[in-house]
Amino acid sequence: MRPFSYTNAKNKEQALQTFTKTSHYLGGGTNLVDLMKEDVERPDQLIEVANLEYKNITKNNEGGYTLGGMLSNSETANHPDIRKNYPLLSMAMLSAATAQIRNMATNAGNLLQRTRCPYFFETSMPCNKREPGSGCGAKDGMNALHAIFGYSDKCIATHPSDMCVALAAMNAKVEVQKTDGSSRTIDFTDFHRLPGNQPEKDNTLEPGELITVIHLDEPKFSDHYYYLKIRERSSYAFALVSVAAGLQIKRGVITKAGLAMGGVAHKPWKFTKVEKYLEGKKPNKVNFKAAAEMAMQDAKPFEGNKYKVEMGKKAIVRALTQAFEREA
Amino acid sequence: MKSIKASGIGNPIDRIEGHLKVAGKAKYASEFPVENMVYAQGVNSTIAKGKITSIDTSEAEKQNGVLAVITYKNAEKLKNYPKDMTNFSLTTVAPVFQDRQVHYYGQYIACVVAETFEQAQYACRLIKVTYEEETPDIHLDKNRGKAYKPGESADFSRGDMDAGMREADVTLEQTYTTPIEHQQPMELHAAIVNWNDGKVKMYANQQILNQATTSISETFGIPKEDVQIITPYIGGGFGSKLNVYKHITMATMASKMIGRPVQITVTRHQMFTNTGMRQFDEQEMRLGAKKDGSLTALAHHTTSHTAKNLQYFEACGNVSKMLYKTPNNAVTHRLIPLNIQCPSSMRAPGEATGSFALESAMDELAWKLKMDPIDFRIKNDTQVDMGADKPFSSRLLIECLRIGADKFGWENRKMQPGTNKKGNWLIGYGVSAASRRAPYMKTSAKVVLELNEAAVNANIKMDATDIGTGTYTIVAQTVSEYLGIPVENVKVEIGDSEFPVTPGSGGSWGAASYCNGARKACENAIAKLKKKQNITESEEIEVAELLQQNNLTTFEAEGTAEPSEEYKKHSVFSFGANFTEVWVDKDTGMYRIKRMVNVGSAGKILNPKTAYGQIIGGLTMGAGMVIAERTQVEPNYGNFITRTLADYHVPVNLDMANIDVVFLPEDDKIANEMGVKGIGELGITSVAASIANAIFNATGKRMRDLPITPEKLIEAGLEPGVA
Repeated sequence: MRPFSYTNAKNKEQALQTFTKTSHYLGGGTNLVDLMKEDVERPDQLIEVANLEYKNITKNNEGGYTLGGMLSNSETANHPDIRKNYPLLSMAMLSAATAQIRNMATNAGNLLQRTRCPYFFETSMPCNKREPGSGCGAKDGMNALHAIFGYSDKCIATHPSDMCVALAAMNAKVEVQKTDGSSRTIDFTDFHRLPGNQPEKDNTLEPGELITVIHLDEPKFSDHYYYLKIRERSSYAFALVSVAAGLQIKRGVITKAGLAMGGVAHKPWKFTKVEKYLEGKKPNKVNFKAAAEMAMQDAKPFEGNKYKVEMGKKAIVRALTQAFEREA
Repeated sequence: MKSIKASGIGNPIDRIEGHLKVAGKAKYASEFPVENMVYAQGVNSTIAKGKITSIDTSEAEKQNGVLAVITYKNAEKLKNYPKDMTNFSLTTVAPVFQDRQVHYYGQYIACVVAETFEQAQYACRLIKVTYEEETPDIHLDKNRGKAYKPGESADFSRGDMDAGMREADVTLEQTYTTPIEHQQPMELHAAIVNWNDGKVKMYANQQILNQATTSISETFGIPKEDVQIITPYIGGGFGSKLNVYKHITMATMASKMIGRPVQITVTRHQMFTNTGMRQFDEQEMRLGAKKDGSLTALAHHTTSHTAKNLQYFEACGNVSKMLYKTPNNAVTHRLIPLNIQCPSSMRAPGEATGSFALESAMDELAWKLKMDPIDFRIKNDTQVDMGADKPFSSRLLIECLRIGADKFGWENRKMQPGTNKKGNWLIGYGVSAASRRAPYMKTSAKVVLELNEAAVNANIKMDATDIGTGTYTIVAQTVSEYLGIPVENVKVEIGDSEFPVTPGSGGSWGAASYCNGARKACENAIAKLKKKQNITESEEIEVAELLQQNNLTTFEAEGTAEPSEEYKKHSVFSFGANFTEVWVDKDTGMYRIKRMVNVGSAGKILNPKTAYGQIIGGLTMGAGMVIAERTQVEPNYGNFITRTLADYHVPVNLDMANIDVVFLPEDDKIANEMGVKGIGELGITSVAASIANAIFNATGKRMRDLPITPEKLIEAGLEPGVA
């Protein structure tokens, strides 16, 4: 590791004021510290924010809940209110990593995980995300784990989070503190960004902005939900493809749908058009298959990840079916 | 005299060193407190082929705590590899920094020595290297023209293969591929080396001490007697700690140059590039059989790769010489030199991969014959090793298959794939036969007896190692058995190259060799004590009484055990059968191993508890071959993109099944006097085939390329004849 200074922020003001261009906020450290050991991240200063007060789960004014950014993934996923009202979120979070990592990882930190692209991790290889202008090794190299949607010439990496796929399906909002003391709220789908010409930027945060809480809408998918994660082993593996599916069904008709996919793009890939298509339809195989076809029609795979198109379709049908058939 | 049976051999006692391990008191190589110690760290090349044109170490040298940076410019002159391609053996030298050439990605090009680990690691990042890069040979396909035959033992043939194929009613020709895999034991490779006045003493986690000291002494041109290795505990080896690797050389050179003890720990990432691996194997199988199931021909052709300057090959085809009755038989091995580090032995080299090809092919042929795969194997059983033209010392393969089938409930298997369904799951059963040579080698031990009141304490010393397998415990049980004293009274001292010589741990020879060596030392002690008192050999007398009659409070004896003439006239193998039930998701390509039954005939089981541990470890590693273990090579740069245990997927608990392990009683005195056979590698052998065969039975998809990942299962088509 390279030398760095460390500040344990006592409150958010201190965190925000201490921040400089080369600082990095430190949550659970489950991703950042690894990347520092690999020499990928090279901050001069770490500002520990895991001890700030944002560690609660509270009801908010919109009939939903607010999750503290510094609460651990385990405490969030296992919280009785989350299990009852947002089981899709709970299921997605518990499919991630290992119990030990979930105990350390924070909710805000989960949103800020960096890609698992092997070219990003190996400093001797080209990677525009790690070193802008150096090129993308994956495009003509090993790209089995890479994007099939929304990539650019500069970067074909994917976002690795499970939690974020569920949050995208659920229309969450992210509240951040700015260094000038004000705050702003970002729609979840606008929080992460596509690589475009700036793959080094994973999200739309400005320098120094600190995620404090995540707002969840009124619960809609507490009866019909499923998070399907297809991976190479049963635990402690990132998704090849994952699907978060939530359905609100009234009198045999879908009144609200949430559908997002992980492992396929630079951000959790929300199928807004497909959600709209499903609304007003009956929850049956025919409609689920049509939804899956619609969802994957714009996919543009590479040599190594062609499988994701077929796998994605099957995953969508399965996740919607499981969500529907679940005993309410 | 064997009055205290309770702690002797055959009993499932707990590991005698278990408490030390769970309490953190067992010291591993990097944990010894050594005064004045400094830390070394290797720097790896970032190209796969070329020449170093410059190394700028000035920034690194300026850093706090940095004592030295070693490169080809200032390195000690060492004995280098011979000019011709040389076999990578257990005593091969381990030269480093001898020239500017880079032969593979990750080759060590520099070493930083500093007061602390962190200082060394940081300084490594500040070294600037430029290269004259050349296009590396990375692809097997693009370099097929360079394939060569690695020595006379690479090829074998018996009868007339083509005639055998013509004679067959049903034939099969298929190719099976297995990826590069890494041993990745939990304990990182590490050493603390002290060069003092021309002598070297090191704590280093080497599996075979007597071979490692040879390698080190030859590398540095010093007498073997001046090299001492101490390693009381080793946190897993799986073959990666058999050879001496270059971190040992770096630390030794650094200690010599600086005049202080040097610690080196290989990082997890470096464990992919610098401490060996199992290579990629492509195995072409040709089989022919008569309608009644009798094999008429069997050919096994393997193509794999080796390094540019060292040769290693695992004999995948050997299993096809000996497992079945095959009148016509051909085996070949070819190697292609690539700019990838030299492969090495990984648990059951040859058998683990070879059995995947052979036992998958046998399953395929059984399907074509419409024959039960167990009946097909039994039909082709042989009590003679046709490859070696020697009888087996014992072979209970048929019994393993029959007893396993019974235990597993094989009669519930549906012959037609895809017909056993439950919800979204397709259920399949698979079987495979396992075999693994059970070597036994010359082993010495020294036992010291001490009379304390009426009790006798024994201290046994040998340069054996315990790589997590249970050496301490089975040696203690052996001494307990042959001296007739409680196991608590036995102190086992191993892991020091100054102790009597053993063959070390590897190749499944450890248990048989160690225990017979210990037995011989005990027998010699008793024989000598009896002789002094003119007591006949057959008379039963407690060892305590023997010492008392001799008026001795302490007595020591040495013993050396070695294979008999009968042993040399036979082929000595362990055999087994694996049964697996898998549940495959019909849509997603994910699957679960639900149950495994393993039946083994592996001689006398010294300790059912540690033996069981060996087998379930082997089954897990075999399952790993199928589920996800693979190291992927970047096609343009030649580095491994699989670089941590987050990318190199070994099985997790949830992947594994309910495992039932059965050992058949076997008394094979030809194998050795105690009838002990190795089991360390038997457990992994053919497991992959039993799972792949179960996947075929579940889905009708024949998976011939490991690992069997969800994406491959989704893309695979159904076999002909499967509805």
